[in-house]
Amino acid sequence: MKTLSDLAKIIRSKNAGPFMTTVDIFFDNRESYLKIRDSLTNEKISQLYNIPIKDVIGIFYLDIVMGIKVTFIKPPGMASGDQECTDIFGSNQHVPLMNFKL
Amino acid sequence: MLQSSWMGYGNISRRSINEALKWDPHLIVGQGTSTDPGPGYLGSDKMYPYHGVESLKRDFQLSLTTAYENGLLFIHSTGPPSGSDLQLEGSLQVIDEITKENNMKLHIAVISGEISKDYLKQKISQEEKIERLVDTPRLNKYLTLKDVDRAKRIVAQMGPEPIMKVLDQKIDGVITGRALDIGLHMAYPLKHGFDKGLVAQLGKTIECGTLCAVPPTGADNIFAWLRNDHFLVRPPNPDKKCTIMSVAGHAFYERPDITKELNPGGYLDISDAKYEQVDERTVKVSGGKWIPTEYSIKIEGVALIGYRTISIVGIRDPNLVSNIDEFLQKVKNQVKERFKDKSPLKYNLVFQTYGKNAVLGPSEFIVKPNPHELGIVINVIADNQKLAHTICAFTRGRIFFNDYPKKTTTAGNVAVLFSPGDVDLGPVYNWNIWHALKLDNPCEPFEVKIIDFPRG
Repeated sequence: MKTLSDLAKIIRSKNAGPFMTTVDIFFDNRESYLKIRDSLTNEKISQLYNIPIKDVIGIFYLDIVMGIKVTFIKPPGMASGDQECTDIFGSNQHVPLMNFKL
Repeated sequence: MLQSSWMGYGNISRRSINEALKWDPHLIVGQGTSTDPGPGYLGSDKMYPYHGVESLKRDFQLSLTTAYENGLLFIHSTGPPSGSDLQLEGSLQVIDEITKENNMKLHIAVISGEISKDYLKQKISQEEKIERLVDTPRLNKYLTLKDVDRAKRIVAQMGPEPIMKVLDQKIDGVITGRALDIGLHMAYPLKHGFDKGLVAQLGKTIECGTLCAVPPTGADNIFAWLRNDHFLVRPPNPDKKCTIMSVAGHAFYERPDITKELNPGGYLDISDAKYEQVDERTVKVSGGKWIPTEYSIKIEGVALIGYRTISIVGIRDPNLVSNIDEFLQKVKNQVKERFKDKSPLKYNLVFQTYGKNAVLGPSEFIVKPNPHELGIVINVIADNQKLAHTICAFTRGRIFFNDYPKKTTTAGNVAVLFSPGDVDLGPVYNWNIWHALKLDNPCEPFEVKIIDFPRG
């Protein structure tokens, strides 16, 4: 079964402020984009990142660039700069989404 | 408008500036403040904690001499990265040196981005509700007097208004501390009556230089032509180009929502944005709408949480690699037992185990990793540096000598990376203020000084 990393051209993560992570996904193929756009849910994000569903801020998309954005509150204790924080810029947090399967 | 990109990495390109000057810009804008690198910088007592003074001077030299020689207005936020008054003063010293060395005279409006504690306390005492921007238990829902007292420093992202106000005066340029990146780009066009939605969209598009172009390497300049109902964007660097994908895609960057983002006094809504490729390297953009809301600015503060000492050790022995969780738990128990008499002094010991779950933490999905080696960062934060050092060294000692099943390593368990093995990292800060301050007057908290450079 194909994973998101097989289908997307760019998958990247970054902080959206110190308390949130945002993951951007871009496609170069409309079919793959639409498939993923229509199957990602807050529930799946909550499972992939092991976070409460209320901490998923949202899944946003822009058809014109075939781009999807997923934003969520970082797990407890993991705000940028907190002692247990592992990723100050949040730039390696895209990996759980790479494994997303349709 | 010539966008100089981030001021201070030392990457601003002379070649791109020369190319852009052929297109006759009216002004040069560039940002140099950010919370991305974490809370340690706003807490820092160092003037140049981020990229060092040499790169900062190089970038200002390019920007200010370009502005001076070509009669361009310049608008820069600086004091990298926090925009605190201390780090802003670092940049002013650099500007002082540049104007002296190049025989330039500059009349500059300097706007501080630091907010006084008394000012905030007065707001709280007047029952002003200063609400957190993210719904997390890490922040108090409404800012308290104690939050303000605990904060080492507090800055605010000023909007375009304080900059617009100083543009009434006869100045060569504006230097701010902490500021909203798009506000820097909005001030001059707003002053000239352009549509706020379009101007905010322009700011969003070009605020990170050529991150809106391909290849998207940052810290190179970008250029924009603003017209009444659209703007054009093109990189001066002939090796780069703007495409619809690169320009529209940048709307995603470092923000929670694509089409709507809250800014001081309104949302920029780009859900009806239009993009058109007008030539191989230029994109035409329009359609941004400004949806007004109550005016508020983001305030940011950090509090001291203790002093850190770290040690880094590597593990290659397969018998220890396969036993690491039980092994580290035992060490933690020994530390707890050994330092229980230190109460009420507090400390916290964290192991970041590279090779296992040191990057994704609680989001790690590989339950049973199979690494051949591990790297452990012993990360201690305590109420004072001496205690942090003592606990880190004790922990390293236990890791070095403790027993574990099938142990053969009676001369030491792990590879210690450095000598000295335990490194004191000094004070540690975390974000304790990330709140929205409502303002009737957007300029109210920001102190302005008009300064002649070189300073006397």
